[in-house]
Amino acid sequence: MDKNKSSTISVENLSYRAKGKLLLRDISLSIPAGERVAIVGANGAGKTTLIRSLLGLIPTEKSSIKLSGEAISSYSRSDIAKLISYVPQQLPENIPFSVIEFIMMSRYARNVGQLTTSSNDPQGESIAMGIIQSLNIEHLTHQAIATLSGGEKQKVNIAAALTQQAPIIILDEPTAHLDPKQRESIQQLLHNLSRETTLITVTHDLNWASLHFDRILGMLKGTIAIDTTSAAFTTAENLQRVFDTTWQIEPHPETGKPMVLPSY
Amino acid sequence: MISPRKSIYAILLPLAVVTLCVMPWIGQKALPWEVITSGTHHTDHSVDALIFWQIRIPRVLLSMLAGMGLSLGGVVFQSIFRNPLATPFTLGIAGGASLGVTVAIFLGIHISLLGISSTAMAALLGALLSIALVYGLARATGKLEPTTMLLTGVAISFFFSSIILLLQYLGDMSDSFRIIHWLMGDLSRANPDSLLQMSPFVISGILITVLLHKELNLLSLNDDLAASYGLQVEKTRMTLFIAVSLMIAGIVTVCGPIGFVGIMVPHVCRLIVGANHRYLIPASLLLGGTFLTLCDTLARSMSASAEVPVGIITALLGGPFFLALLFRKSSV
Repeated sequence: MDKNKSSTISVENLSYRAKGKLLLRDISLSIPAGERVAIVGANGAGKTTLIRSLLGLIPTEKSSIKLSGEAISSYSRSDIAKLISYVPQQLPENIPFSVIEFIMMSRYARNVGQLTTSSNDPQGESIAMGIIQSLNIEHLTHQAIATLSGGEKQKVNIAAALTQQAPIIILDEPTAHLDPKQRESIQQLLHNLSRETTLITVTHDLNWASLHFDRILGMLKGTIAIDTTSAAFTTAENLQRVFDTTWQIEPHPETGKPMVLPSY
Repeated sequence: MISPRKSIYAILLPLAVVTLCVMPWIGQKALPWEVITSGTHHTDHSVDALIFWQIRIPRVLLSMLAGMGLSLGGVVFQSIFRNPLATPFTLGIAGGASLGVTVAIFLGIHISLLGISSTAMAALLGALLSIALVYGLARATGKLEPTTMLLTGVAISFFFSSIILLLQYLGDMSDSFRIIHWLMGDLSRANPDSLLQMSPFVISGILITVLLHKELNLLSLNDDLAASYGLQVEKTRMTLFIAVSLMIAGIVTVCGPIGFVGIMVPHVCRLIVGANHRYLIPASLLLGGTFLTLCDTLARSMSASAEVPVGIITALLGGPFFLALLFRKSSV
C-alpha cells in the first residue's frame, strides 16, 4: 500500500455538539503524510475536541473525517491505532506498571486476537528496546512508572506512541507540564523524528510552533480561523485575531524565522 | 524481591495444592486414610467415607472455587472501574441476591425447580436484576463510564439494603433469623449438586477473564489511551462486567454474600506480583481459593455445636491482616 496515501487525514464540514454546545463548527482541512502541524488557540477554542475527533474518540458524522480516503467510521479501533498514535498531555495518574510493560501495551493493535503475551511478541520487544535506547531511557526500562519525574514520564509516553509504529502521531500539549530543560528535551526528541512521520500537536508554545512546524492552525470558537504556513501565521495581526492580545514579532537571530515576544 | 512468576509457582501454587489436599482431613470428626479408597460403598468406614466424599470434598472444592471467583471478581472490577474499593458487592450484585432471598423468605415461597431451591433461584434472579439495573441505568445516561456505573451500583445497593431492612422489620422472628443467617454468607449448603450449580458460572468467568488479560491491563490505564492503543473500550468493559457479574451471581446464589475476599485478596496479590494481569489473575485465583478454603475449614471446625458463618471469619482474619500489610507497605 502506498504509505503516503495511507496516512492522509482529511476533514470535511466537521461539526460537533456536546451537551447542547457547539464545540466544532464546520471544520474542513487536509493533512498530507509527513506534514508537521501545530494547532494553537485560546483555552476552549476546540483544539482538544478536534484532535479527539481525529483519533475517533468522539462520535462525529460518518463521512466528515477520512483516513486515506476512507471514512474513519469504517475503520475498527485497532485499524485506527495502526495509523494514528496519541500522546496525551500527561500519562494517567498512578499507572501501576513498569516502563517496559506500559510501552509494550501500545503494541496491542498489532497483536489483537492473538493469544500472545508481552514476552512472546519478540518483534515488538526489539522495536520497543530500540526506541527506549534512542530516547536515552534505558536505565528506566524496568522501573515503575509511578516513580518517574514528569519529563521521564513524558518520554515514556512518547516511547509508547513510537512503539505503536503508526505513521501519524497526534499530541495534546506534550510539554505543558514540564520545566524548561525537560520541555526542550521533549521538543528536540520530536524534532528528530523521521520526516515521514506526520506530527499533529496542540500547543500553547507559539515559538515552538513557529520555529519547528510546517503549518499552524489557529482555532477560534470551534472554527479554524487561520490555516497557513508557520512563517505566514506568525504575525501580530493573526495572533491578535486568535488570542485577542497584542504580541511583538522579532526574527530568530539565526534562522530569521518569526518569533513571538510579549508586548509588555 | 521475588519475581511474579516465582511467587506464583513457588509460593501460591504449592500453598493451594497443599490446602486442597489437607483441608478435607480437618474437621470435627477425624477420618481414617482408608476413606480415599473405599468410596461410598458399604464398608466399615461407610459413614466416614460419606463425610469425606459427599461433604468434605465438595465443600473444599466449593470454597476453593468460590474464593477464586470472589477474588477474581475484585481484581476485574477494580481494574475496569479503576477504583481500589470496587468489588462486585459494591455494584449491588450481592445486594440484589440478598433482596431476592429476603423476598422469597418473607413471602414463604418454597418451590424447587430442577433441584434448585427457591432461595437459590431468588438469589440468582435478584443478582440478575441488579446487573440489568446497573447496566440499563448507566446506558440510559448515554455513557458507560466507570464512575456512573459505580455510583449506580452503590445507589442500587443502598436501595436494596433498605428494602431488606423493611422486610426484616415487617417479618416474624424466624424469617428474620433466616435472612440474617443467609446474609452472613456460609458454605454449609455445600454438596455435589451445589458444586455443579456453581461451577459453570465460575469456570466461564475465569476463562473469559484469562482470555482478556491484556485488555484488563489497558482498561486500568484510562479510556482514551486504551482506545488509542486499539482497544474497544466500552465493549470490552461490558463483556468483563457481565461475565464477572454472572460469575459472582452464581457464587452468591450458593454461598451467600461472603465479604472481604474480593477486596483483600486482590490487594495482597498486587503487593506480591504487581498489577500486570498476566500474573495478577493466576495469583488472585490461587490465593483467593486458598484463603476462603482455610477460613471455611476454621469456620466448620471451631465449634462442635454450630458452624460459624465463614463470612465472619473472612472479615475477622482478613481485616487486621490487610491493615497490617498496608501499614507495612506505607512504612517502607
